[in-house]
Amino acid sequence: MTRPTQPEICTPERVTFKLNGDVISQRVAPATTLLDILRDSGRITSARAGCRIGRCGACTVLLNGEAVPGCLVMAWQLSDCTVQTVEGLTEDPDFVQVRDALATESALQCGYCTPGIAVSLVSGLRQQQSGDAVDLQEAVAGNLCRCTGYGGLKRAIAVLTEASSET
Amino acid sequence: MELKAQPAMAGTSVLQRIEGRFGYATDQQHLPGLLHGVILRSRHAHARLLRVDTTRARSMPGVRAVVTAADVPGLNRFGIVVRDQPVLCEDRVRYEGDAIAAVAADTLEQARAALALIDVDYEPLVVVDQAETAEQMAPLHGESNVVARDSLARGDSNAAFARCAVIVEHHYQTPRQMHAFMETEGGVAIPDNNGGVAFRVGCQSGHRDVEQLADILGLKPSQVTVEATPTGGAFGGKDELTIQPVAGILALQTGFPVLIHLDRFESCRVGIKRHPVSVVMTTGCDRQGRILAHRVDALLDTGAYASLGPAVLENFLDHATAPLYRIEAYSVSGRLVYTNNGVSGAFRGFGGNQATFAVESQLDALAGKLKMCPLQLRRINLRTVDEPGSRGQAVRWTAPPTEVLAEAAASPLWLPAAADACGRWLTGTGMAMGAQGNGLGDGLPDSGGGRMSLTAEGRIRLEFGFVDYGQNLVEAITCLVCEALGCAASDVDVVLGNSRGPDSGPTSASRSSVLVQGVLATILPRWQDRVRDQAAALTDLPRDELDSGPGGLFVNGQRVLSYQELAKKGQPEQTMVDASQEFPVAPEGNQPVGRYLQLQIATVARVAVDRLTGRVRVTELHHITAAGRVIYPPGYLGQIEGAAIMGLGMALTEDMPTREGRYLADNLDQYMIPTMHDVPDQRVDILDNTPETDPFPVRGVGELGIEAVVPAICSAIEAATGIRLRHLPVDAGSLLSALCAQEEQRL
Repeated sequence: MTRPTQPEICTPERVTFKLNGDVISQRVAPATTLLDILRDSGRITSARAGCRIGRCGACTVLLNGEAVPGCLVMAWQLSDCTVQTVEGLTEDPDFVQVRDALATESALQCGYCTPGIAVSLVSGLRQQQSGDAVDLQEAVAGNLCRCTGYGGLKRAIAVLTEASSET
Repeated sequence: MELKAQPAMAGTSVLQRIEGRFGYATDQQHLPGLLHGVILRSRHAHARLLRVDTTRARSMPGVRAVVTAADVPGLNRFGIVVRDQPVLCEDRVRYEGDAIAAVAADTLEQARAALALIDVDYEPLVVVDQAETAEQMAPLHGESNVVARDSLARGDSNAAFARCAVIVEHHYQTPRQMHAFMETEGGVAIPDNNGGVAFRVGCQSGHRDVEQLADILGLKPSQVTVEATPTGGAFGGKDELTIQPVAGILALQTGFPVLIHLDRFESCRVGIKRHPVSVVMTTGCDRQGRILAHRVDALLDTGAYASLGPAVLENFLDHATAPLYRIEAYSVSGRLVYTNNGVSGAFRGFGGNQATFAVESQLDALAGKLKMCPLQLRRINLRTVDEPGSRGQAVRWTAPPTEVLAEAAASPLWLPAAADACGRWLTGTGMAMGAQGNGLGDGLPDSGGGRMSLTAEGRIRLEFGFVDYGQNLVEAITCLVCEALGCAASDVDVVLGNSRGPDSGPTSASRSSVLVQGVLATILPRWQDRVRDQAAALTDLPRDELDSGPGGLFVNGQRVLSYQELAKKGQPEQTMVDASQEFPVAPEGNQPVGRYLQLQIATVARVAVDRLTGRVRVTELHHITAAGRVIYPPGYLGQIEGAAIMGLGMALTEDMPTREGRYLADNLDQYMIPTMHDVPDQRVDILDNTPETDPFPVRGVGELGIEAVVPAICSAIEAATGIRLRHLPVDAGSLLSALCAQEEQRL
């Protein structure tokens, strides 16, 4: 009944990708998860191992602009990719809009799941801007929060939706 | 009055949290020399340990220490109430999360590789997997599998039952709910140069953990420090020690800091859960609906170790007496038993909400038999504020229970729902009430301290031992200080959770806000006196005309001295004030049973039941709370909403069943907590009639929101379908079968 939680260790290979604008080039086992690469880098604390099976959304990052759980992306898939985490988004206008909405609606308590939620919302906003009919509640369907019951998050999404329908 | 959402307080940690730089215990992966610790868990739910051989593991690369029971320097036991749980098992394992050995290595991969080479020989023992028969099985500890047996009684219930016109008897079963905090258990143990250890962990009581850890590590309490870092959720699940003992032993053995962070698989397997309760309730009333008699027989499964089970049983029984209602005679009893089914312990609601689920369901059943409106039945039986509590103790409500009921009766959710043209959805509205007490209760020692000072930098600093795990306590403290001093939130620093600071007692039992308010009432005026004295000496202005305000001290609305100037020119260290506050209990002469400070909630739920699948959607929730003053509105709203959704999960999807002592779910894809798409819109109305003169105007609301939501949902399901569910979580398949049977009968 116990499921494997770690990839088998294989021969390390070089992987090169962009993380928050910087080129990262390192030798890792091909099945190492992006989440582990980020955590081990010493630069990233916003992506978190909440389940390691792609269920909780606490490790959500942007991979080539798309929100994905970092625990389901492996090193061999990363070559020439662009990865963005909250650490690299703090000046981004979409992120700032999301951050302001989360703060003004008190959409968080312990805050552990919040960076992942913010990344999912940034991705949702950008899809809306590119003309897709994206429901922001759908964008955070894969982000679990145990503290708030999502009340503040619903209100934050209402604010974001109102703002985007005005523009 | 509806409690509206408000912006978070500026200048607090909100931005750090959103931007992922808040510094949780498990973020400390890059301390110099940090080692990674992993723990070997039992393969069996119950077995004798014949041999634990660490030879192969010790020779693995990167390994710095491999420890077993023989390496525990002091007491190899822990537990808040009963110290019955081994840190590392000696000769027997009692659940599949039991710890047998641990490894510290340079990397996590090396530690895991070594752990896999620890050889253990087991002799499997008969698994005690049924709470019902546990008493007849060979004891897991001591003489018997009954950890505690408790009962409460008032009046002659047999005689009272004999006079009842209507009696209902039902069996209720509640799930083994998991806390599922998003940050799994973890932290770092850091050895100092003098043989001591400092911990940075997610926990709920740094001071209490120091006592236990000193005993386990064979150290003096002064050699152990616990810094409770910001904690990614707790809900009672981090009340007991988690990784601290093993991390401490590994740190002492290696001389290096050791990080242990359980992954979700291990957390599910090891972490404590909510006690599953099996209870039969028998309740009777006269023709007019007056409840005369009430009998309860409950069985709580605490699993392999007692943890806080005895206290949970007490609180269950307290709530099983139906504290909101006047009942002529009751006889309430319960047993707490050991099994090999994991470990259960503290969880938001603490046994009380399991009892309230059954009590409120009984009231609906009585109303059904009498063909009376369930709200009317409650109206007849609700206590007044002048009456003693259900155990004869003095109680202090903040509003009459009938007023809470009246607000619930006026809820817009009773209006008919929009019609469903395709006939797929059955909708219904139901309600339930709940009472909850603050504090540890039952005469247990319960006090907490705090400290206030002006720092050398001119900051107003408040220190408490409580832990911040997301409940907005920092903001609540800041609000109270600003209100009293007229200062700005940006003048105030709140420092929580360091065992070297003041001891406030555990961050549990909805006690923090009450104690904070009490401590502040003492230290604020004393601090202000000292600051005024110093400011008067520095400015030559009359002491009594100096008022604290934003940024400094004022005379006639003019700022005359900033806090920074005061700190620079005066003696800020002389402003430090400490105080400790006893938790408010009934005035002298009263028997110390139950809890004095009482809160109430009524929850109205509207549901839609799918006739195609039997699934239940909760479409709206409306809560009416009477729980004293609201200090920090976003925090209050968040506590009620968050707890209610936790209750929604308990009612509809959450359970950790076992088979032969093994949990059947091991991660969040099998254990289903509510997502954004499962939650209804919620409205919270507050009924605050707390008099200005009330000495205890503030109550803790961390657990209130989970009290009534589960029976309210079941009541709404009954209103929609005519089917009352008494075994949780709701099984969609069973509900669908019952619906089909009902519809076939009608044809």
